[in-house]
Amino acid sequence: MTSTTATSFGPLAGPGRETIRLAMQRLWLTGRILPAGAHLIVQHVFRSEEEKPLEVIYSFPLPRDAALRAFRITGDGFEVHSDLIETEAAIKAYERGIAEGSLAALARQYGDGVVNLTVGNVRPGETVTVRLELLAGVESHDDGFRFRFPFTLAPAYHARMKAARVSEDEAEVELPSDEFGDMLLPPFRKDAAGLHEVGFDLSVLHQLPFEEIGSPSHSIRVKPDGMAPARVALAAEKDVPNRDLVLDVRFKEIAAQVLAGPTTEGVRSFAAIIPSTLFGASPKTARRTVIVLDRSGSMQGAPIEQARKAIDACLAVLGEDDSFGLVAFSNDVESLHPTLLPVSSENREKARAFLGQVTAAGGTVLAAGFQEAARMLNGTGGDILILTDGQVAGTEQILAQARATNIRLFCLGIASASQDRFLSLLARETGGVSRFVTARERVDLAAVDLFASMGQPVASGLKTSGNVQPEPPSAVFAGNPVVLFGEFSEGSQMLDLAWDGGQMSLPVPAGDGETGQTVRLLQGSRLITDWESRYPAEQALAPLEKRKQSRVAERLSTLSRTYGLASREMSLVAVVKRAGDRAGQIPTTRVVPVGMPQDVKFDAYFAVPPPVLAAMAPRGCVMEATQAVYTPKPEVRQSFGLAGFRGIFRKSHTPDLDAKVESTDDVLLDLASQLEPDGGMPGQDVADRAARSVAVLLAFVAAGRTLTTGAFRSHVARLVRYLKSLNREILDVAIRAAGDGRVPPGDWLAIARTASVPWSQVEKALTV
Amino acid sequence: MADEMTLAELADASGLAARTIRFYIARGLLGGPVKAGRAAAYTAEHLARLEKIKKLQAQGRMLSEIGRSLAGAVPERSAAPPTAWWQHVIADDVVVMTRNDVSPWRTKQIREAIDELARSLRPTSDADGKRSRK
Repeated sequence: MTSTTATSFGPLAGPGRETIRLAMQRLWLTGRILPAGAHLIVQHVFRSEEEKPLEVIYSFPLPRDAALRAFRITGDGFEVHSDLIETEAAIKAYERGIAEGSLAALARQYGDGVVNLTVGNVRPGETVTVRLELLAGVESHDDGFRFRFPFTLAPAYHARMKAARVSEDEAEVELPSDEFGDMLLPPFRKDAAGLHEVGFDLSVLHQLPFEEIGSPSHSIRVKPDGMAPARVALAAEKDVPNRDLVLDVRFKEIAAQVLAGPTTEGVRSFAAIIPSTLFGASPKTARRTVIVLDRSGSMQGAPIEQARKAIDACLAVLGEDDSFGLVAFSNDVESLHPTLLPVSSENREKARAFLGQVTAAGGTVLAAGFQEAARMLNGTGGDILILTDGQVAGTEQILAQARATNIRLFCLGIASASQDRFLSLLARETGGVSRFVTARERVDLAAVDLFASMGQPVASGLKTSGNVQPEPPSAVFAGNPVVLFGEFSEGSQMLDLAWDGGQMSLPVPAGDGETGQTVRLLQGSRLITDWESRYPAEQALAPLEKRKQSRVAERLSTLSRTYGLASREMSLVAVVKRAGDRAGQIPTTRVVPVGMPQDVKFDAYFAVPPPVLAAMAPRGCVMEATQAVYTPKPEVRQSFGLAGFRGIFRKSHTPDLDAKVESTDDVLLDLASQLEPDGGMPGQDVADRAARSVAVLLAFVAAGRTLTTGAFRSHVARLVRYLKSLNREILDVAIRAAGDGRVPPGDWLAIARTASVPWSQVEKALTV
Repeated sequence: MADEMTLAELADASGLAARTIRFYIARGLLGGPVKAGRAAAYTAEHLARLEKIKKLQAQGRMLSEIGRSLAGAVPERSAAPPTAWWQHVIADDVVVMTRNDVSPWRTKQIREAIDELARSLRPTSDADGKRSRK
């Protein structure tokens, strides 16, 4: 073994990095995932290689709708369970334990859902394991769900943050203590290899048969077992902490699922997941949409390229009655046009040109982006679609600003590390929907799919029987199921739902105690997450003492006690008294580093030299001046086309996306983007347009993209509307195919791709 | 001595969490206690050092940099000299130059400072000065 210094975690011999002293060696995720959420155990293995006692801090973000329940700390000859007590008392108990020389552990939640797990007085050479139990939500879809668990923490933007590179491959971020208290963030490693190992072994419970279980983030091994829980594990022996685990579960059928079980005497807790298709279809009305693109530095590379493509595809969905706006933001906001524009080929071309010149650089001033979009909609209704990585700190304030705009926000997150919790809150708190994809997935397809959910809801004014909390959503959107948590007195058998113009009843199964308990805890963690986001700005900043008096803090304390779950007001603490504890020794404090999220450019975040040092740039050195004409706001538009500037931001981008073979989705996306504002394909004359439109429609349907399924449902709907407007009986065959999926024989994908389709060929196919 | 403090007392006096103080000690920003064991104690010098760290932080310094400057080290010079600069003409008679390779986050700070400077240099007759962005 190479020798190590006593104080450094850093790699010792430059880039070789064979020897890194790890305070945390392993993080392993186990537990059960249900369609309504997950009940997880995260195992952290800490080991001290210091000569003094060690105090180690692991800083991590919570998944969406998550809350900590308990932890168990074990080591040689001991096992102690945590207590859930008021945060202040927990800190005191922890500090008392440390002062007495005892092993102590504290799990404390801060703003933005960041948790610091601190374990103090780990003795030299000792191994200590903390098993942390938590509940987490999932991203529900009509036909399944996506589960996301963060193995790293993305460096997030804040107006008063400080960030610097401290060595070639490590950087630090500090947030202002008046807003974030004593929360510590991990150092970020350019390369996660050599850091603690991570992995997972999970079981997926289900009521409907599986169509597919997959992961865009990790290679997985899946063991399906009929209707028994499927086991999903990391295929490799271990992995590195540089991205979220993302699991996709799809079911064979779209149907309502109700999970239930007895909890306390005479009470049954339930969770219901009700697909949007059971509520009806979305009425067609003119759409007013502003698309907001995050062009901050962290979006550099694949994310912004993907976002451009996604927006182009979204614009193709809009019809001639619709209008749209386009906003790009980083530190400042730029829009295509100050007001909404009608959808025309000319305006779409302008939008394309606008997107083409957008460069990713600068901070993420998210509120400025959606406030500009809200201004464009001007209180007259409409939706906002935000494409962002959501890498911002101080999210409670942004959420308050979003609620104040009173406009639904739809969010498409694009990143390999989780800001899922924030974006799901941003959408839900404003009545919208969010999707979160990794930058390596088909972001364009996810955007088109989310876009198809926007516009008029399929149902509104939803009411339910039973004690449902949180309140049912005010509107149901196509593609997004309603998820309800609640409880019944033991006698009730049915969950009744009623909405404007419809109703349904779902049987609630008797269930078992374990399911009932899990569902109740998921309800608690969802309620706590909702309230966590509602600290008024001035209270979020207030010291503990003062914050305690706020309504939000009071509500959180109550929820924590009721459900036995931690929140910012209640923390988990354990102290292990052992023989040989030596009072008064100061442990050596270390923060566990994490990997820079995959696909985020380390060099773009943390420039060389550190920004702070750059402020003292040496005088009199030779410089090659680059001219940038500065004009004060509002006219300021730096020309990003200058070679020197562009070079910095372009050289690191090496997409291999373009190199791949064109897939069916690529072709469909290309076809979708060609639709004219009236919904038909372009062409020389009506016959030419009709022939091409039929071919494209049948190409979609043949690929399984119909009026109700798949990301292209709104494109299919527009093609159908166009063909109906032609009023020709022969076209009915194609129109019917969009509904029932029965396609006349032929390679429609290939036919659709040809520049001109002879009408005679289409006519022949339709009459067969 | 009367001005000796426990870690908890030092934390109270400085307004910093005890964990934060331990973290500073581990990073070499602050010396360890003057006595070992149960009687571990801190002095007014510790408190003064913590106040100094807070002051430097308020000035925008990061802990890594404070560590170097408190240790008496000369701030490190960049290994790679800057290759290109932005030139901002903020008035007919004023030009500000900034490095083009700083982090996107730093760009915002610099940008705001230049805006501030530009505003302060603008002739008072300029009625457009307060106009908000479109």
